[in-house]
Amino acid sequence: MLKYSQERFVGIMLTALGLIVAAMYISLSYGVFDLTFAEVVKTLFSQGNGEYDVLIYQFRLPRIVIAGLVGTGLGVAGAVLQGVSRNGLADPGILGINAGAGLAIVVFMFFYQGKLAGSDWFSILAMPFFGLIGGLAASIFVYLLSWKNGRLDSQRFLLTGIALGSGFAALSLYITLKMDPTDFHTATVWSVGSLFHANWQYSISILPWFLFLLPIIFWKAHILDLFQLEESSVKSLGVSVGREQVILLLCSTGLVSACVSVSGSIGFVGLIVPHLAKSLTGIRHQQMIPLCAMLGMLLVIVADFIAKNIFAPAEVATGTIISLIGVPYFIYLLFRSKA
Amino acid sequence: MDMSILRTEKLQAGYEQHTVFQDLEFAVKEGKITTIIGPNGCGKSTLLKTMGRILKQKAGTVFLYNQDLRSLATREIAKRLTLLPQNPVGPNELTVEELVTYGRFPHLNQGQKSSIADQKAIEWAMDITKTISFRHRELGSLSGGERQKVWLAMALAQETAILLLDEPTTYLDMVHQLEVLKIVQQLNRQRQCTIVMVLHDINRAARFSHEIVAMKEGHIVALGSPQEMITPEVLKQVFCIDARVMLDPRDGVPVCFSYDNLQTEKETIGGEA
Repeated sequence: MLKYSQERFVGIMLTALGLIVAAMYISLSYGVFDLTFAEVVKTLFSQGNGEYDVLIYQFRLPRIVIAGLVGTGLGVAGAVLQGVSRNGLADPGILGINAGAGLAIVVFMFFYQGKLAGSDWFSILAMPFFGLIGGLAASIFVYLLSWKNGRLDSQRFLLTGIALGSGFAALSLYITLKMDPTDFHTATVWSVGSLFHANWQYSISILPWFLFLLPIIFWKAHILDLFQLEESSVKSLGVSVGREQVILLLCSTGLVSACVSVSGSIGFVGLIVPHLAKSLTGIRHQQMIPLCAMLGMLLVIVADFIAKNIFAPAEVATGTIISLIGVPYFIYLLFRSKA
Repeated sequence: MDMSILRTEKLQAGYEQHTVFQDLEFAVKEGKITTIIGPNGCGKSTLLKTMGRILKQKAGTVFLYNQDLRSLATREIAKRLTLLPQNPVGPNELTVEELVTYGRFPHLNQGQKSSIADQKAIEWAMDITKTISFRHRELGSLSGGERQKVWLAMALAQETAILLLDEPTTYLDMVHQLEVLKIVQQLNRQRQCTIVMVLHDINRAARFSHEIVAMKEGHIVALGSPQEMITPEVLKQVFCIDARVMLDPRDGVPVCFSYDNLQTEKETIGGEA
């Protein structure tokens, strides 16, 4: 009877998982230096004495893991932001959260000059925190400026975000231009959304954020269902609308900031993934959000694989590949929402 | 101090700079159906929304069982009082049963699966509103009348003692209007629900209410039983119309069968608040 049953959901999740495993395998084996299936499996299970350990453990695998985490974070954050703002065009990038987090990180890089190249634990662990400060500042600004008649105005939410985002991006660019040449290069590559510098420390530095924030979001998923009703209905049902909005906004900002700190500003994941998830599993957030996590992971792993290999040995920024898909999709959504 | 189930004291409310009413004193009678009537912009919807804490008051207090509404957790309020807004909207893909299930939110502990009591309330709400036969259909596929009954079912699933309904019959055809009001009447009779609603149709107000409250320009100008309220004098005072009223020969309920402008030709114009 129900179009979106539990069985269907499990089927979709398993399919997504299968695709992720396939994408991971292809990313591991294919590249400037191709590996056979046997070689990949042997290296993964040889525990540190295989021929290709360095290639897989130092280069390909950490990058895939980061891509997966970033995709998950951005996909889930996008779904939450769209739910909170009741606006299907909301996305961390469009709302200026990426840009805010980016600005704070650029400022951090600027004052930490010349030390970025090294694998300094302090700077790596501190980056998500700086990202969070910037991301939070952006979210708080956007949230406060979007209040109209005592409620969150979803049109304003988007417009304020776009305006603030451009401002933050301009400031970031200004600061980047003041950097010394090595840092400038690092910061520019980073700011367009690249996983070039991926390493295990990055994964470890953002993992706690995921372990802390994702469960809260999954736990609050049923509130996002209620947010699809009008504000007066939601209030009548006894939801503390303002409080729940703030909690959800903080959680998604935290996720986005952590992602931005390791991958720079990768846009549009949070826009595309929730729409795709909705069309597959329906509008129930308890199913949709886990699916967003999976689809985000898949999207960024695949996009990063394309970015690495399309013009090999030269590399395109992962963010660029996703934008190439994201921009037309955004315009399509814009037109469809008007109709 | 009287023990009213829901009352306002020196209540002031409005939108931004605009004040719709101030110093409003109003007490709802427990276990009765009260209907607020009045011209557009008189403040009847604003009063309902402020009593239902959808709109924050500018001054004054709303008391729910003699407790200041602001001192209660919104979830606790939702167990005792609910408001069905005018033309509620929800996602088209949502099924009837899912929407009705939302009504149980205030009774659930966060993340907890629904209990037998929740399931019973949901079944009851769909049963009394006659929406149970299309429980698996999606909102987008329903007619306006069916949809309104589903929203009513969601409000009923909350199992509150007080139900505030903002123009529950607007945009419905005659049959659906009657159906919705019969459900309201049944609720009041079977479960002693206290109901406050805003209606535009004074004949429906007369037939389905115990008490009618007339508002005009932010003031309560008259209140009483339908027999006292649906009279040419009161209607002239409230709506500035020349109404012709007679009593239904079958049950003595007043009926306004025709009306005209007063000689002054002065019309009440204003946006609905």
